[in-house]
Amino acid sequence: MNELGKRVLVSRRGCLKLLAAGLGAGMMVHHAASAVVAAQKDGPQSGTGGLTVRVARPFDAETPVGEFASFLTPIDRFFVRSHFGPPAMETIEESRWRLSVGGAVERPQVFSMTSLRQLEPVTITAVLQCSGNGRAYHQPRVPGVQWDRGAVGNAQWTGVRLRDVLQATGVRAEGRHVQFQGADRPAVATVPLFVRSIPLEKALHPDTIVAYEMNGRALPLLHGAPLRVITPGWMAESCIKWLTDIVVREDEAKGYYMQTAYRVPGHLASSSTRLNADAMVPVEVMPVKSLIVSPESGQHATIGPVMIQGVAWAGETRVAKVELSMDEGKSWKTAQLLGEPQPYAWRQWRFIWPAKVPGIFTIVCRATDEQVAAQPPVSPWNPGGFLWNGWDRITVDVNAS
Amino acid sequence: MNTSGLLAIVFALGVVALSAVTALPEEDMESVSVALGLRAEGLILARCSVCHTADLITQQRLPRERWEATVDKMKHWGAEISQEEQILLVRYLSARYHPGAPDRLPPLEHEAGPAEPLRQEPALTGPLVGVAGRGSGIFEHNCQACHGQGGIGGVGPKLSKNPILKQEEHFWDTVLHGRGPMPAWGSILSEQDIADIHAWLLTR
Repeated sequence: MNELGKRVLVSRRGCLKLLAAGLGAGMMVHHAASAVVAAQKDGPQSGTGGLTVRVARPFDAETPVGEFASFLTPIDRFFVRSHFGPPAMETIEESRWRLSVGGAVERPQVFSMTSLRQLEPVTITAVLQCSGNGRAYHQPRVPGVQWDRGAVGNAQWTGVRLRDVLQATGVRAEGRHVQFQGADRPAVATVPLFVRSIPLEKALHPDTIVAYEMNGRALPLLHGAPLRVITPGWMAESCIKWLTDIVVREDEAKGYYMQTAYRVPGHLASSSTRLNADAMVPVEVMPVKSLIVSPESGQHATIGPVMIQGVAWAGETRVAKVELSMDEGKSWKTAQLLGEPQPYAWRQWRFIWPAKVPGIFTIVCRATDEQVAAQPPVSPWNPGGFLWNGWDRITVDVNAS
Repeated sequence: MNTSGLLAIVFALGVVALSAVTALPEEDMESVSVALGLRAEGLILARCSVCHTADLITQQRLPRERWEATVDKMKHWGAEISQEEQILLVRYLSARYHPGAPDRLPPLEHEAGPAEPLRQEPALTGPLVGVAGRGSGIFEHNCQACHGQGGIGGVGPKLSKNPILKQEEHFWDTVLHGRGPMPAWGSILSEQDIADIHAWLLTR
């Protein structure tokens, strides 16, 4: 974790202590927390103890970046973002789960999990990333969960193609957008429901799936059991968890989470730009981004070769190169990419840095994708604090011996 | 008075005016008293933690207008915040969690004693008598989010026909000091409010 993360963590503890008096563990009876408890009961390795909790309820927690040393992020270390928290455990039983598909379709249909599983299964490795990942770096500060670098992970998702589901119902000519809704509900009925839509083209893409497995295991409750959408290469707010309803529509979904939230200026803006609603477009594709996984910021190294490792991803396209700079971007050196180039998943990389003199060094990295988009030093400001992909940065203390 | 004396006064007035202007944008914690801070914290527990824990609030560092917009949004979404409470919350949040505030904030001085109630009631004369007609509105504003419309239960237990209504001491203790997930309401509700809610619940 970098310095910012540490500071946020420490201050969070202080604040929790501050408010602990009335709001102890007792408040945790609500369903999000009981799901966390349930996940911890799953097995000795499946707790959420390794996550940095940003919000206790509804549960928002990120992965310490050191965990990204493995190509697939383990389920119990995978970040969790909740709008309202999961539905009750007893409601997600596979045998009772129904997915209703309606709206601008030829034959509205209700699928059981058994009928869905009769479609051809596919497995996709894809990065899942919260749009607000890195929000804490935006200046001026933006309201929302103050995510540091770890609201992201790379997993293997197994399910069936959304295209095959929509082929079964048929899509009428006027259908342009596909709307998703899950079974999660807010504590207070006046809070808008989490309803989102994606354009029909993305819904019909052969890699867009409704998933029931994660890393080869049944999807866990906190990650949307028994069924969630995966839109590879797109930010995670399209990947609706606890999926119960699909509606094909002529226009984008209505409501706060589509028309107001998860939107960014269509053109470059600053914090002083006046932004009307029609200047904003939905967050969709993930921009190219890289992280330095090891060493962790603040770690010590000794003079000699220092192994620097990390990951990089580029949404729907592939990572072309990852570069490192020891002089704040004046000069760059190319890292070695590991594994095979593929869209959606992240690519691991490494670089051996010959540390020659003692001192505190700032190491910066940036990735470039196949469409020649490179990570900027600092991401453009936007009112929601979304899509942070500025250069990643750590400091290392090099000792003589 | 000669000209130089007049100039000096004009200059002094200017300095005062200038410092007043520069001091205006950010009210800091020193001007927001501890008692007010404790009351605001009580409100956060009572009003905001129905939907989310307070950590979501305390990690923000926002200027006053963003706090205003945020509290407005939450009211719009159904947070039961009165006008008076909104003013207090915005004052407190923008004084304590402003963009210049350090990530690590010292805790409020809890040694100052219990928070003063939001509304000062006249000293009690004679026994406290609950008025069911008033209790309905107070319940709706403060309790309904968790205990459901008419006290039929929700995230919190069902209260209509709940045996606790007959155990008055237990009922009062729970409301004043909280129990399990329920926060303490002693700094939000007056004794009369609690008596009114109790009277109204007995009719459900």
